[in-house]
Amino acid sequence: MYKVLLFDGGVYRVNELYELVEDVGGFIIQKTQTHVQILVTLAIPEEEKDVIERKSQELGAKLTEIPLGGTEIAVVAPTLGRHHMPHPVCDIAEHLRRYGAITVVMGLARGKGRKSAQISAEEKALINEYDAAVFVLGNFEDCIKTEKVRLFEDIKVPVVVACGPSIDALPNCKAIVSGVCRRVERMRRAEDIAKLEEVAEKVSKVIEERRRIIDEDPLFVHPAEVRQRIETLPVVQKSLRPAPIVLHLDGLRVKIPYYEWKDQLESIEVYGRKLREIAELSDSRLDGSTLIRIYSASKVESMNQLGSVNSLGDRSAASAKE
Amino acid sequence: MIVKVEGPEEFGNESYVELFNSILLDIGITRHVEAVRFVIRPSDPLFLISVKTRKAAGKIRINEIAEISQSKEGTYINITDENYAPSLMSLLWQLYGRERIEQLSRLEIFCKGIDEKEISEIAIDRGEELRKKVLDALWRVLPEGFKIRYDLSSENVITILATEYEMKEEWKRLAEKAHADMEALDVQSASL
Repeated sequence: MYKVLLFDGGVYRVNELYELVEDVGGFIIQKTQTHVQILVTLAIPEEEKDVIERKSQELGAKLTEIPLGGTEIAVVAPTLGRHHMPHPVCDIAEHLRRYGAITVVMGLARGKGRKSAQISAEEKALINEYDAAVFVLGNFEDCIKTEKVRLFEDIKVPVVVACGPSIDALPNCKAIVSGVCRRVERMRRAEDIAKLEEVAEKVSKVIEERRRIIDEDPLFVHPAEVRQRIETLPVVQKSLRPAPIVLHLDGLRVKIPYYEWKDQLESIEVYGRKLREIAELSDSRLDGSTLIRIYSASKVESMNQLGSVNSLGDRSAASAKE
Repeated sequence: MIVKVEGPEEFGNESYVELFNSILLDIGITRHVEAVRFVIRPSDPLFLISVKTRKAAGKIRINEIAEISQSKEGTYINITDENYAPSLMSLLWQLYGRERIEQLSRLEIFCKGIDEKEISEIAIDRGEELRKKVLDALWRVLPEGFKIRYDLSSENVITILATEYEMKEEWKRLAEKAHADMEALDVQSASL
């Protein structure tokens, strides 16, 4: 399994790190350089962490593990009105970013109220594009247990709930953090920071579990490798959107319009195959973006076999005609 | 401030009190609120809040908060107490319309074609100001989805009952009783 690490050091001899990462079968996810300092997010096989640690020490850099690196997480609130906890929602989103995730804050269109709280199919589909969702709910147990559970009924990605009362378990929910309630100020006190840590810890666990599941039937290529190839497209290089390519656990989101660029994207070569042969490309519900879900190695293999059987069948049919 | 919360869940009750306190602090009227009573029943659903405020000091004349000077075209007002600036502006707009009231800078106002005498008779009702602020606090604390409301208001007490779909008569009676209790409350000697 891959570990995502953050290298915080100088640019001097940093090429040695890049080479080492490549040698151990890892990838560079992101580089952010400011003057002579550089932040490198890298993914390496779990067992090679020691080698990278030694190299970082040699280069005088700091190496930290970012458990949510290479993930995109949705933080969902019933609405974005000031009654619905914009402060905890933003603080949670901000704190998850410190753990390496790209976070998106979402307010539901009709999420207010008790019985009238709704989530549309479109909203559910949008949340399903992310790696996990954190739902930030209210103060009353009865309200959450009887009504609000409907909000994450058909969500396929893991759901973490942050709410006020202490609740042991909820259906369709992987983890619960209690003690996060409506307030009119930022979560700045020591106990608030501890709560934010708890949210990050639970989300990290959920993501770790999902990584392990994916690892049981590994992807044909790591999303970071596809990213390296997509980055070369001029339209991506010219993109002014923040983070034009976002990594997911099982693929990536490229912030260029699908219908305009699908042919170019599909024909990108990855290890001698076209991208369309190893991944499913679709129009993202996030405006002007393309979603890429990479197939597992076994699926690509079985598609290959199916392809060769079909072509054999075609050939024999053609010879029979002759 | 006397606080009473009736609700089935301890956590929810406490967090609403904390929320209301922070909102009052935010708006700056903590000292003006004498008593508050919440009735929260999530299963109905019903949310009632009744607030008793201190008696606000009467009206304040414009001369106490601003300097007035007459010119050929009209009257200049130079506000000396900034706290009253927004309410004075809105009062002037209300009385003379936006065309005749010009805000020259943050604290300077020019009233076109209006006599100094007329301006000097203007007075701001401090009670009304406090009332607006209390209403703002209540609006902030009420659950967003509870759009069906029944409100009662008297000189020092405001009561709002909110629910989601249907307002029942018995709930209205409850609100009326809560309002009357709050009006009769003697803050010095009693508790809710």
